[in-house]
Amino acid sequence: MKKSWLKLIASLFAFALIAAACGGSDSGSDSDTASSTDKEEVIESGTEAEGDVDTEVEEVVEKGNYGGDFIVGLEAEATGLRPWEDACSSPCLTMVVAIHDLLVQIRTDGTIGPWLATSWEANDTFTEWTFQLEEGVTFHNGSAFTAQTLVDMFELQKVGASAAGIVTAAGLKEVVAVDDYTVMYVLGQAHSAFPSFLVQTPLGAVFDPDAANADFDGYSMNPIGTGPFMMDKRDLDNETIVVRNPNYWMSDADGNQLPYLDSVTFRPIPDEGTRLDSLLSGTTNAMQTLRQGTIRDARSSKADGADIILLEFQGNNVGGGMYNLNNPPLDDVRVRKGLTHMNNQEAVIEALGGTGISLPGSQWFSPDSPWYSEKVAAAWPQFDLAAGKALIEEYVNDPERSDGRAVGENIEVELSCPPDPTLIAAMQVVEQLWSSSGLIDVNMTNYDQQTHIGYALGAAPDWQGSHGAHCWRWSSDNDPSTELNRQMAPHTLDVAAAYGLDGIFTPTNFFNWFDIEVFGWLVAAIGTANFEERYALYEMVMMRIARDIPMWYSGHTATMLAIESDIEGINGWVLPDGTFGGQGWAVPQLNQAFWSN
Amino acid sequence: MSGQQEPSNPRSTRTPGSLRTALSEMPLGIKLALTWMLFIIGAAIYTRLDRLLGQALPLQDPFYQPFLFGEAKPVEGPSSAHILGTDVLSRDNFSRLLHGSWVSLMVAATVVLFGVTIGGVLGAAVGYVRGRWEAIVMAILDVVIAFPALVLLLALVSIYKVRNLTMIALVFGILGIPTYVRIARASTLGVASREFVQAAEAIGTRRTAILFREIIPNILPALFAYALINAGFVIVIEGTLSYLGLSVQVPEPTWGNMINEGRRDIRQTVLPIFWPGLFLTLTVVSLNQLGDWMQQRVAVRSSAL
Repeated sequence: MKKSWLKLIASLFAFALIAAACGGSDSGSDSDTASSTDKEEVIESGTEAEGDVDTEVEEVVEKGNYGGDFIVGLEAEATGLRPWEDACSSPCLTMVVAIHDLLVQIRTDGTIGPWLATSWEANDTFTEWTFQLEEGVTFHNGSAFTAQTLVDMFELQKVGASAAGIVTAAGLKEVVAVDDYTVMYVLGQAHSAFPSFLVQTPLGAVFDPDAANADFDGYSMNPIGTGPFMMDKRDLDNETIVVRNPNYWMSDADGNQLPYLDSVTFRPIPDEGTRLDSLLSGTTNAMQTLRQGTIRDARSSKADGADIILLEFQGNNVGGGMYNLNNPPLDDVRVRKGLTHMNNQEAVIEALGGTGISLPGSQWFSPDSPWYSEKVAAAWPQFDLAAGKALIEEYVNDPERSDGRAVGENIEVELSCPPDPTLIAAMQVVEQLWSSSGLIDVNMTNYDQQTHIGYALGAAPDWQGSHGAHCWRWSSDNDPSTELNRQMAPHTLDVAAAYGLDGIFTPTNFFNWFDIEVFGWLVAAIGTANFEERYALYEMVMMRIARDIPMWYSGHTATMLAIESDIEGINGWVLPDGTFGGQGWAVPQLNQAFWSN
Repeated sequence: MSGQQEPSNPRSTRTPGSLRTALSEMPLGIKLALTWMLFIIGAAIYTRLDRLLGQALPLQDPFYQPFLFGEAKPVEGPSSAHILGTDVLSRDNFSRLLHGSWVSLMVAATVVLFGVTIGGVLGAAVGYVRGRWEAIVMAILDVVIAFPALVLLLALVSIYKVRNLTMIALVFGILGIPTYVRIARASTLGVASREFVQAAEAIGTRRTAILFREIIPNILPALFAYALINAGFVIVIEGTLSYLGLSVQVPEPTWGNMINEGRRDIRQTVLPIFWPGLFLTLTVVSLNQLGDWMQQRVAVRSSAL
């Protein structure tokens, strides 16, 4: 019992951290399948028309040159390099995927493609998934990668602070080695999109379980994967250097062994401006950012002649916030809809520095996503101060109003965001618009990231946050089920029992909004592999969100990798089957990168 | 009543024209510093009055974001409508700077008030009484000094979920006391051995009366001189916390959070950062100048005793 609680708590924090700090921990990709051989066109794509920021994928046509070091400016030091244990965001993921290979990768069209797993198939009920593995792959320490490796990894993953939640969400019960290079994942429930969970590093990044068991904490300083680069020097908060893995299993199209680079140096540079300056001055060769303001500055520098390439990406992840339905008056849909009507998304995006960079959100999918729905976009409440005020007024004058205040008295709403300057600016825009109605007393708060997450998460045993309107990020470029199913399940055991769903409970339903029909649609969506059927189900879910409004959206999260112009192979890296992968969330895939001169 | 004449207390040697004399003896730099501080204090009082009167005084609303309603644009340069331009949310920089002076001054004033009253009295008492109480008080204060203020502030914010001017000022005020105690105690050790104190003791004056009539008035100049320099230091610390988003809650303007908010556009224009930076710098320099000047005067007077 105690162990299961510990597992639950660990899972919660892993989920919460990933949800809020990362917004999506997968190496997502652009859903645009376009490819180009015109390098100029690729370079110019960084200054595309407003809102259309995704950089087109460049086809690698030149033979790679061996040698050279590559220095990447990261937005922070990695929280840790244990895939199963450490909650990873972009900087951490950048290092993790340089050292560890994933079993599968997301292609640019959003489908799942091979990597260490060469092929896979499910049984008719989607409860057993059998994967064929690449043969002859070895870890950095010489150990062989086999199906048994994945079985042994699972023992750590199912209790890992980062992986346990994903194991639970996937319904993963067992990992079985069928033979040396065939492994079966056994699920407790049907899941037609199970491989999507293997794109996420906590479950899909392959590490040496023996090394992890030998030194659980020390693994973070000396990780052992099968990836293109091996750990050479780990100087926390200063620099981490990884060197070429001479026994790497992948080759390029001409049979040349990868990777091309001799080494990669990761330097955490937390200040956005300094990180960009480091690239412009040649101190680093690349930088990552998740801030629109930095993307704007990088575009400006490029327009002024800086010799850099901007690989921009705007995926499904969307900023905004959630309304806690446990907290009156947010339990009333009139209030939630009224507040959402009064949220000027364009102004919020401007405050975030994202004008011309971020698209306003209306659902969990960006317009480039195959899951995007025009119908949902049309249904989402648009900015309309008068309409919003009318709805709030109706609530305020309702004798049955839920907040216990007198008729005519203003409602009070707590609005909270983490203390990032752009988020604070965006929060003040929302506050001003809400307050301008004269019907809403807005109490703004800012807590550090951990407190902000904890406030929404609540505490054992109920896990009911006491937040009000709370800044948050939603969605990822992975399969919709990986995010939606765990956030739309019953938020308490009592709610679950009321609907005959005994024992099904998620602490990550931060809005405390449960709709049995939505739950049913989400379960149905992982019981079929038919895209049209799944699309229709997710569209219904999004329509219900647009009706009940448990959350609000600002803009889709724009990310960027800025790199020196003579480094190639980062935009346009290929999977073993020759299809293209992307570099969403500013996480570069470096195993095919090379210096062109 | 003894016929002996009590040695004169140096505090009683002031002449009626000392303030005018002091002003006339002030170097130009000190006069400028004093002028700036009077301007800042005046601005702080004016903005408070403005709020009390429902923004009836001629000053723009520091919270109003005109760009939301199709008026001014964010990060505009100086113009007749906004003499110091607008910030990232199109709010008037000048108005926000003046309103920001209230937070800086209130935090500084609280620290000085707590320090001079509580710290000064406590330091003078233990410095005069000495013995076991002195050891106990100084040991406790050593612990308080060792406690990181930032950690305490973060803990209080996390526990009470309140981050207003009162809490920030109280935390600074309480944590600032030990230094004043040390200064007051050190000054008292010197004053307590003076003839006028010994004379008061000799004629049987109560120790409490000696403390408040003879000792404290004579250590006050030193405390005030330190307080001025300390106030500048506190303003910088408050600005740093504001910059980090740990001081008073937005949208309340402070110089620190104005610098933080202006950071986003620093490649486009430095003005949103320059103005609060200038106000902060001039205020701290002024306080330091006034403090140094006062310390010199105290030192001169002490040496003349």
